[in-house]
Amino acid sequence: MIRLLRVRMSTDSRQVSEATIERIVEHNPDTRSFFLCPRTDQRFNFVPGQFLSLQLPVDGKILTRPYSIASNPEDEEPLEICLNLVPGGQGSHYLFSLGVGDSVNFTGPWGTFTLDQAPAAEGIFLADGIGIVPIRPMIHRALMQNAQFSLRLLYSTDCEQDLLYRNDIEMWTRQYVQFSLEIFLRHPSERRPALQGSLLEYVEDRYVKRDEDRSRCFYICGVGAQVTQLRDLLRGAGYQRRAVLYEKW
Amino acid sequence: MATLRILYETGDPEKTIEFDLDKAPFQHDGQPGSILDVMLGHGISLEHACGGNCACTTCHVIVKSGMANLSENEETEDDLLDRAPGLTPTSRLGCQAVFEKDGEVVIIVPRYTINQQVK
Repeated sequence: MIRLLRVRMSTDSRQVSEATIERIVEHNPDTRSFFLCPRTDQRFNFVPGQFLSLQLPVDGKILTRPYSIASNPEDEEPLEICLNLVPGGQGSHYLFSLGVGDSVNFTGPWGTFTLDQAPAAEGIFLADGIGIVPIRPMIHRALMQNAQFSLRLLYSTDCEQDLLYRNDIEMWTRQYVQFSLEIFLRHPSERRPALQGSLLEYVEDRYVKRDEDRSRCFYICGVGAQVTQLRDLLRGAGYQRRAVLYEKW
Repeated sequence: MATLRILYETGDPEKTIEFDLDKAPFQHDGQPGSILDVMLGHGISLEHACGGNCACTTCHVIVKSGMANLSENEETEDDLLDRAPGLTPTSRLGCQAVFEKDGEVVIIVPRYTINQQVK
């Protein structure tokens, strides 16, 4: 079946929608998932990797804050967003003050850091910390399409308790021969073997120095300068500009 | 003094903001002193779905004149602009184009600023 992606230029996404918080999951003290039920009869369509733009009433103003959608478009569940409590972050502090049954307003979906079709080459997904949120549904989409090329997730966090969606991701390694996972912990535990060193060093060694294959596609997401450092490393090494996609928060 | 003149492809009436560069930033979204920051700080809206964090193209504007008064594009901005509808050689993201010099900048707000993708 040929699947078509169309870019819709309408005003729909600008319309403010209201959603009710149906469920809240605390992954760890600073990371929560909010499951949102839009108050509409229409199915909410989005592409893996896109985000919602939440309109949050804080201190008499409306703050606009983007949160990646953590769920899959095919899920029958409510829309999931997952976020860290950011020190001094007005948006995250407001959301962490909300409970089940409260409402939030949003527009969207938005964003072009997406994966609609499985990559037409080996796909390497680089997720740093909370950057796993849009990456997980992107990999899920590729796996559901029986990706022809291997898919590899390099997932870096501070410590084991910061690993999100680990059951899902580890299950994929058993279910799909084309999927593999490497975990990097900045503070490794004895229970979980993890690779040492930084993601940047590993990528440079494995995908820049060790071979000359430049056909791979990279999807990078995380917070801070490492994202653009990875981008610059890979593009500078000869990977195609459009094969190195990223979202930096 | 710096001047930002805003024209609308939709035909809406143009708007002009005169401001003191030393008083920027004016609010919290976008780079401090950016076109987005200046507009929001003077009560003029500009779409910015990602909160002015250079993660979408909804604040796409076309600089008609005065580009030399703005900061230069960086790679992240250019990567995003590649996906903006109606891209032109003088396109900028309002959240990233920062006023660096006094003088006039004239921008056009395109009719379409949305990069929404749906099935």
